[in-house]
Amino acid sequence: MSSSGSEGDSLASRRSKKPKYSKFTQQELPACKPLLTPGIVIGAFSLIGVVFVPIGLASLSASQNIVELIDRYDAECVSANDKVGFIQDTKTDKACTRKITVPKPMKGPIHIYYQLENFYQNHRRYVKSRNDKQLRYKDSGAMITNCEPEATSEDGAPIVPCGLIAWSMFNDTFSFSLNKKAVEVNKKNIAWDSDKQTKFGSDVYPKNFQKGGLIGGAKLDEKLPLSEQEDLIVWMRTAALPTFRKLYGRIETDIMASDEVTVVIQNNYNTYSFGGTKALVLSTTSWIGGRNNFIGAAYVAIGGICLFLAMGFVVLYVLKPRTLGDPSYLSWNKESPDQPN
Amino acid sequence: MEVTSWTTMKRFVYINDDSCRYSYCGNRISNTKYTFWNFLPKNLWEQFRRFMNQYFLIIACLQLWSHIAPVSPATTWGPLIIIFIVSASKEAWDDYNRYLSDKKANERKVWVVKDGTHRQIKAQEIHVGDIVWLHENDEIPCDLVLIGTSDPQGICYVEMSNLDGETDLKTRFVPSISANLSADQLGKVKGVVECPNPDNDIRRFDANMRLFLPIIDNEACPLTINNTLLQSCYLRHTEWACGVAVYTGNETKSGMSRGTAETKLTAADAMIDKLTIAIFTFQIIVVLLLGYFGNIWKDTQGLKQWYLMYPMEGPWYDFLVIPLRFELLCSIMIPISIKVTLDLAKGVYAKFIDWDEQMFDWETNTPAHSANTAISEDLGQVQYILSDKTGTLTENRMIFKRCCISDTMYGNNNEDDGLKDAKLLHAVSSNDPDVIKFLNDGTVSYKAQSQDEEALVNAASNLNMMLISKDNSSAGIYFNGSDFHYELLDILEFTSDRKRMSVVIKDGQTGKILLLSKGADEAILPRASAGQQIQRYLEAVEMYSQLGLRTLCLGWRDLEEDEYKEWSKKFREASCSLHNRESKIAEVCHSLERDLHILGVTAIEDRLQDGVPETIKLLRNAGINVWMLTGDKQNTAIQIGLLCNLITSEPSSQLLSITGKTEEDILRSLERAFIIMKNTCETKDLAFVLDGCALEIILKHSKESFTRLAMLSRTAICCRMTPLQKAQLVAILKSAGYLTLGIGDGGNDVRMIQEANIGVGISGREGLQAARAADYSIGKFKFLRRLILIHGRYSYNRTAFISQYSFYKSLNICFIQILFAFLSGLSGTSLFNSTSLMAYNVFYTSLPVMTIIFDKDISETTVLQHPQILQHSQAGRLLNPITFCGWIGRSLYHALVIFFITICAYADEKSEMQELSMVALSGCIWIQAFVVTMDTNSFTYPQIILIWGNFVAFYMINLILSAIPSLQMYTIMFHLCGQPSYWITMALTVVVGMGPVMAFRYLRDMYRPSAINMLQQIEQSNGSIQAFGGMDSALESVRTNLTDLVTDSRRNSDSNYQPLLSD
Repeated sequence: MSSSGSEGDSLASRRSKKPKYSKFTQQELPACKPLLTPGIVIGAFSLIGVVFVPIGLASLSASQNIVELIDRYDAECVSANDKVGFIQDTKTDKACTRKITVPKPMKGPIHIYYQLENFYQNHRRYVKSRNDKQLRYKDSGAMITNCEPEATSEDGAPIVPCGLIAWSMFNDTFSFSLNKKAVEVNKKNIAWDSDKQTKFGSDVYPKNFQKGGLIGGAKLDEKLPLSEQEDLIVWMRTAALPTFRKLYGRIETDIMASDEVTVVIQNNYNTYSFGGTKALVLSTTSWIGGRNNFIGAAYVAIGGICLFLAMGFVVLYVLKPRTLGDPSYLSWNKESPDQPN
Repeated sequence: MEVTSWTTMKRFVYINDDSCRYSYCGNRISNTKYTFWNFLPKNLWEQFRRFMNQYFLIIACLQLWSHIAPVSPATTWGPLIIIFIVSASKEAWDDYNRYLSDKKANERKVWVVKDGTHRQIKAQEIHVGDIVWLHENDEIPCDLVLIGTSDPQGICYVEMSNLDGETDLKTRFVPSISANLSADQLGKVKGVVECPNPDNDIRRFDANMRLFLPIIDNEACPLTINNTLLQSCYLRHTEWACGVAVYTGNETKSGMSRGTAETKLTAADAMIDKLTIAIFTFQIIVVLLLGYFGNIWKDTQGLKQWYLMYPMEGPWYDFLVIPLRFELLCSIMIPISIKVTLDLAKGVYAKFIDWDEQMFDWETNTPAHSANTAISEDLGQVQYILSDKTGTLTENRMIFKRCCISDTMYGNNNEDDGLKDAKLLHAVSSNDPDVIKFLNDGTVSYKAQSQDEEALVNAASNLNMMLISKDNSSAGIYFNGSDFHYELLDILEFTSDRKRMSVVIKDGQTGKILLLSKGADEAILPRASAGQQIQRYLEAVEMYSQLGLRTLCLGWRDLEEDEYKEWSKKFREASCSLHNRESKIAEVCHSLERDLHILGVTAIEDRLQDGVPETIKLLRNAGINVWMLTGDKQNTAIQIGLLCNLITSEPSSQLLSITGKTEEDILRSLERAFIIMKNTCETKDLAFVLDGCALEIILKHSKESFTRLAMLSRTAICCRMTPLQKAQLVAILKSAGYLTLGIGDGGNDVRMIQEANIGVGISGREGLQAARAADYSIGKFKFLRRLILIHGRYSYNRTAFISQYSFYKSLNICFIQILFAFLSGLSGTSLFNSTSLMAYNVFYTSLPVMTIIFDKDISETTVLQHPQILQHSQAGRLLNPITFCGWIGRSLYHALVIFFITICAYADEKSEMQELSMVALSGCIWIQAFVVTMDTNSFTYPQIILIWGNFVAFYMINLILSAIPSLQMYTIMFHLCGQPSYWITMALTVVVGMGPVMAFRYLRDMYRPSAINMLQQIEQSNGSIQAFGGMDSALESVRTNLTDLVTDSRRNSDSNYQPLLSD
């Protein structure tokens, strides 16, 4: 009896079903347990404050140094009462001259943008109405999926580039003169290189474009491949917000303060039927991009709030000190003090 | 009257005849749900019966309509298919394991007799009509009609605990018609059994059997359930038995009663379902509103926007298009991956339990095992533990401690072993006749049906009285150098009604016939001969049970030859009677067991398991109510209760006994207990005690008021419980809305274990049935504390985080989409592209959240030191509508922060769709890395790797995607990473998003800390105690905070009963 028992024991120890020990299986991996102690929290907020305020100030000054001129012209360039009728009439001369005085010197290159408001390039109907394959490959000219309702011309031939986006391309034009002297606008390289090289084919040419009864926007030069139609490429990078700017070109020369820039606008594009606005923007750039005070202001404000919070916490800590980790604060220890802890 | 109903539905089984064997199914058992061929369709059908899956399927189908799909259908189909594959493989794996265990059972070798020759075949090859030959301890392979046994009286014993949960052996009888057949004849017997069609009633078998020539007796012999051997029972104490297979395979009584176990849904799961429904409703409202305003925008604004070319007259379904687009856009509000993520996490919790070294029992070499991997969270929310006593709280290892023989108490000293008592040794060596008889009695009636008897025999052998031989008809005893032989004439079986058993023996030397009886005190002492003083024994019984010992009374009587013969005839008649056999036998036995000469009382100790009192104390401190349900008698149960800290002695606690002779008495005492309980439960530790009879009456008449009492009572001792009553008590607590845990070790606990929300089995000495039926099996009761306090609590915390975080991240991205809708003409444009949306759900957010399965808010030691902290999870403090609203609020806030910072920083010439969307997505990823970090309490290296590795992976993936020309996001990430303003924007998003969260957390942790926060702080400061004044007001609220938790839930459930209480 006893012998078999010991045999059983040794057998058992040999064939023990004991789980193998490892720090992982026993959930005993070394761990660090940071707590939100006053030191850490006050330190973190102070640090954020100290880092944020200078960055904010730097961004703010960079943004302030950018000279940005905005000239809204949609209302002024149409004198007629029936603005929609005016803009839809193909026969009238739509030239319009605007004079802009430059308050501060602008260093070239100066970016020329057109700005549209209340224009929903991000609308579900609009944003999908294109076919990337067709834009890229020569052989895919007939690919007009998603392009409805601007997929085919009236005789059923596929439109290249098809879709609402291309069809509604912006067609106002601007010509500049500085102090009565014509200034050349550089319209090269306004689109992304990646778009020119890979998204739009260099052997794809416009076909049947704007041949229908209803003309949307700009027409394209059928001799130029799509990859060189930079205005189209820029337009087809749809904007995410209903107010947006798109690069029109650059002026490479510097402009002095109090110079007068005269712009002759061919006001073709119809924003009147839906109450949209159009504006011309001239802007210099810096490391932060265009003029945008938001980031700088937000950084300064947030940095300030963080510093303020840090100070507040210090004051609170001094006024209402509290020991961390006093077991006597535990409810059950208070309830029954005699209970061993 | 019933006859007509079943005569039409019956089968004829021809014994030993091939003619009928193929008209019924074979003996192949199949518990599998699927076959190889029907797996795919059946599993698909099963999976898509779930509401959530149907919903996602509809969404996925709608996505196929490109007119309304905001993004590519792959965003829904991809995850849906992945989820389907994961669930299907899990099902397939489980079913494969079932198939393997079936196969093992089916291929087990059994002996059958065919025309007189014994052959060994596989169990699955048995057919109806075959004669199956069983040996001792064989598992019965199918339902048989017994036709012969090794026992000359034609009886055999079976253990049926697999079927009815009762561990005592059942006696089965050979029908009279085949009683006198020899083993040879049995092999060749031919006949027919007429029996009803298969059913699941294990108490009823109304059939008859006729044997053919050459057996002369050609009349139909009626059969009852007592003539059957049922599948999955065991043959015990019988050398061999043989029977005719009548039901086989899945048509057996056990096969028919085998229901598919109901899948248990945890409280956390139920809460998640509720929250899902709430979110679903919210989503529908949002979709309807956006759809409505979208249509208005279209009609007022959209038609003017000429570049959109809206047709003046759309198709008839036009008004549906925008709402449906928003439906698809918002469908991500409900995280499609939540079930898979949770299943995965639950699987890991279960593995942690299996792996836990500290829950490994050296003694029995059993590790803890979680058979049910889906309910670990419930462990952390247990409110009631209903525990068996014997084998669960105690070791179920019986040791003979004391005895009282002819007015002398032996073993009264405080020694461990009653056998070392000098007086007893002296009495034995001096051949005190009473003592000898006493030992004889215990020894001879040994059949080891129960462990008590084994203890007695062991004790006797230590006193030089050895049982040297024992077979069915005689017993030999070696005592003080000489042999004694006794012939066993009859055995008067133990039944739970009679609570005693007796043997009739013939002394080999003197030829005297003796009746030896043993049994419970209330079954033996009233049968004492008129002259004998039994007062002394009553006192002894009382005293022993006060000490928590199990008592047994022994008695004997001389039988006259004539008396025995006459009785023997009656006994035989009764044994063969077809109707009411049991009660007839009981009556006959009763007539013999009278005028007993009481020999004495034995007291056997069943020692408490190691660590039980500490564990119970800890669990009670953790706010868990512990009830003890036992089959034992009241005094013993109360004593064990005292020993294991279940109840404390008088001054601090009070024991309310619910007893009474009549129904009215019992009900009145119930009312009284309730009133006392109601008035004093705040100040005193109250417990009630009741027994099985009282419970039966109470459940019949006054279930309502018992439920109310049960809800008030932290402790209860219920004794003399049947397995069914144990389950009923669980059901009562469950119906009152409590989370119950049933723990037991024996077959009689199986029902309770299956009924309870969580069943825990102790793989103990009474076999593995309980462990097999249970959700968790552990080696010792003391492991329960780790199971609940450590694994349960962590699992609950982790699930609470994972589920709420899953909603948080889905809502976060969905809110951004909704905000974007207001800037895109309510047209249902998706800000994010398909690739990003899919990757967001599958990669970017699902990996960091999984790190939480390694998280521990406070260390194991701290939890065990402060078990009260369990009340937090018990009361559902971490996953409830309020915390959920907190998460939704945070999600909305973060969405606003991300969206507005993005559109302000990326306005004007930068507002390019792809760039802006990537900026917003990066903002989400940044914020979420910090959210997970903020909510992680302890960082181990897998966590750090996963959280920040995921972050790095996000950039890697997007840089790679940006290099693929055909994708919309071609070169986007290169552009962004080169812009200083992108990084500045990210930093701003994080600080604005997380700063307030951190400040809020800090203030709360410092000035309104929860108990968990305080324990974390204690851990950190290593328990250094320094009292500060002036904090009392702040602490006051904390103090009430926790103690209210449990009483809160109590009060809430009480409120339903308030009106009833007033009258």
